[in-house]
Amino acid sequence: MSKLKSSCKLGILSRPDGSVLFSQDETTVVAGVYGPVESKANKALVEKACVEAHFRPKSGLPGVKDRLNESIIRNVCEAAIATAMYPRTSVVVVIQEMQNNGQLISCALNAACLALLDSGIDMKCMFAAVTCFIHKDESLVFTPPINEDQVKAMFMFVFDSVEKSIIASHTDGSFSVEQYKDALSLCKEECANMFDFFKKSLTIK
Amino acid sequence: MSEQYKILHPVKYFRDHLAHKIRPDGREFGEYRPIVVNLGSISTADGSAIAKVGRTTVVCGIKAELCQPKAEAANEGFLIPNVELPPLCSSKFRPGPPTEQAQVATQLVADILKNSDCLDLKTLCIFPDKLAWCLYADLICLDLDGALIDACVVALMAALKSVTLPAVQYDPALDNKQVNVQERKALSVTNTPIATTFAMFDDKILIDPTVDEEDLSTSLVTIVVKEEELCFVHKPGGCVFTEEQLLKCVEESTKRATVIEEIIETAFKSL
Amino acid sequence: MPVDHKRINGPEISIPYQLFDKLNTKSLKTQFSEIVQPNGTRADGRTSTEHRKIFLKTGVVSQAKGSAYIELDQTKVIVSVFDPREIPNKTDYSSKGEIYCEFKFAPFSCHKRRLHQQDAEEQQFSAIMKQALESAVFRHEFPNFQVDIYAMVLHNDGAALSAAITAAGVALAHAGIPMYDLITSVTLAVQGNHLLVDPTLEEERLCQVPLFKEEENNHGIVVLSVLATHEQISQFYQSGYLSYACLSSGIEMLTNAAKDIVTLVKKCLVKHVIKSVRIVED
Repeated sequence: MSKLKSSCKLGILSRPDGSVLFSQDETTVVAGVYGPVESKANKALVEKACVEAHFRPKSGLPGVKDRLNESIIRNVCEAAIATAMYPRTSVVVVIQEMQNNGQLISCALNAACLALLDSGIDMKCMFAAVTCFIHKDESLVFTPPINEDQVKAMFMFVFDSVEKSIIASHTDGSFSVEQYKDALSLCKEECANMFDFFKKSLTIK
Repeated sequence: MSEQYKILHPVKYFRDHLAHKIRPDGREFGEYRPIVVNLGSISTADGSAIAKVGRTTVVCGIKAELCQPKAEAANEGFLIPNVELPPLCSSKFRPGPPTEQAQVATQLVADILKNSDCLDLKTLCIFPDKLAWCLYADLICLDLDGALIDACVVALMAALKSVTLPAVQYDPALDNKQVNVQERKALSVTNTPIATTFAMFDDKILIDPTVDEEDLSTSLVTIVVKEEELCFVHKPGGCVFTEEQLLKCVEESTKRATVIEEIIETAFKSL
Repeated sequence: MPVDHKRINGPEISIPYQLFDKLNTKSLKTQFSEIVQPNGTRADGRTSTEHRKIFLKTGVVSQAKGSAYIELDQTKVIVSVFDPREIPNKTDYSSKGEIYCEFKFAPFSCHKRRLHQQDAEEQQFSAIMKQALESAVFRHEFPNFQVDIYAMVLHNDGAALSAAITAAGVALAHAGIPMYDLITSVTLAVQGNHLLVDPTLEEERLCQVPLFKEEENNHGIVVLSVLATHEQISQFYQSGYLSYACLSSGIEMLTNAAKDIVTLVKKCLVKHVIKSVRIVED
């Protein structure tokens, strides 16, 4: 089984507080983080920071599908950021899709994590997203097959760096409980590599 | 007195209940609310259903129209689901375009339809590349009291089962179509996905949460089951779940799915 | 159809299949004489002054302050009322509270599919609802505040507007908003010398245009909202052409019909009060 090839370039944008160009396999996104910034009066929360996520597709205006991605990104970031440290402020995460080869959401989430680390905002833990696919022949792989018709199901898991517990789970297609368990344990192993990669990228910087 | 206590200290109120192993509405942690399904009560729609999960009410009406198939899928029709959360259903919403919650619910319902593959879009094609059915499934929430996706999926599946389409004669040479409204045929729905939502609060897992429980909880999970298979496990972040907890939820939702499937079946038979 | 980025869009063009039905070649006139007998008996067996059976229920929306559901045979409308809140984007003082009404047809409620955005007809109906209800509420009791009323038609089989107004009156009372009087509303459809109380959608459609040219070409729809105790008219809406004599006899018919509905509204509200008293006693 091939390990995922990840690469990143931190701080590529000058305006945001944290930014990254992140690619995993053939999927590439740019992420920027602003925060903590003053939040709009109607969004400000008294006891914690408000996390906003914006997902921009490759072309055109964001649609309903991107709203779902935004909600996942926002909820995961909210779980990882120490929001109680920044009451009455906003943390804005912006993701721009560059190229999609199947694992867009996990790529966006990993980029968000790196951008948050780059911005230096306080976090409770890191998080890493891993996507894996089941082929029609029931084999479990990380890299998406060339032909889309070959995929039976897709799994995306997000783990935290402390206990390696599940922060988020998202699936596509139908599958058995056993397959779900297998995918979960496979992704759990892989997430350690992601965390190593995060640490290495930050030390180089 | 408890009403005031609930408003002033919502979290403590909730925690005190849970400490006594009971939920504010008197249910146990693993107990779900009663489900009611009614089919075909709206005759202007080609298929309709009303689903109540506890107090959460969703009405689904499906209207069929004729259209040309997409060029890249010439032998397929369309099924367009849209979830509407009008200001009528809760004080959280104001008039205007769909809120983020409505958009996310719309996409989740569309994903569930696609993943479960419950309706073969090829059966909606009348003549390849020329004529196909487009089913607009509009889901309107009339009362929002938690577990929106669960109610939406029940309403949508029940409504799909009740859809009847008229016979169409199509002459491709003249592009001439004639519809016989009297002669109607039901859709072939191959399986029934059922969604179950869980809320996590202080390491306790609550099945089928009410809106108050959802607001206070730190994490939500929606699991969709169809015929022994899973077709959607969605947890959009929030606090962490261990593997055992997640698998326990899967087990619970499989049990609940068989019960709900029977309810839909009974409602369908009494149509 | 314009592309809506906040919803899932279907194909650009889609046509209702009813258009390709084997053509109904009967003239409107014969269609009308088929559903209404010369003596005024209608297709569903009602006399011309008879209202359809009404089902009315309060407390259907748990999240709203007050709510009501009404059924006029097939016509189904649900209305909910929310707590007064500050009028958004208003800086100057207003001594009277405001009523905000939104009337909406569900996309699947009519023969033709309705779009999600409010169209001109729905906006007009919202304005009529607002006018009808304003005079029934103690608006001076909540200055600078507005009460939101939302009506959703789930199934339109005629007289949807008057059903919504009647239900809104019940929902307001259920919400505990101070009111002068109970409000009820009835629709009348006129064609020639036929006056039909509480028309179905089919009857409404056939009363849009004059069919009997030789007689007085009376035709149209009248919606009358009445405050019960003193028979005050709080709103009057008419479309089409009506002679004065026809109109006055029509209004008399409508006020009589409205009186019958008031007893039903009262019964429904009393039931709610008994229920809530019982809960307190327990």
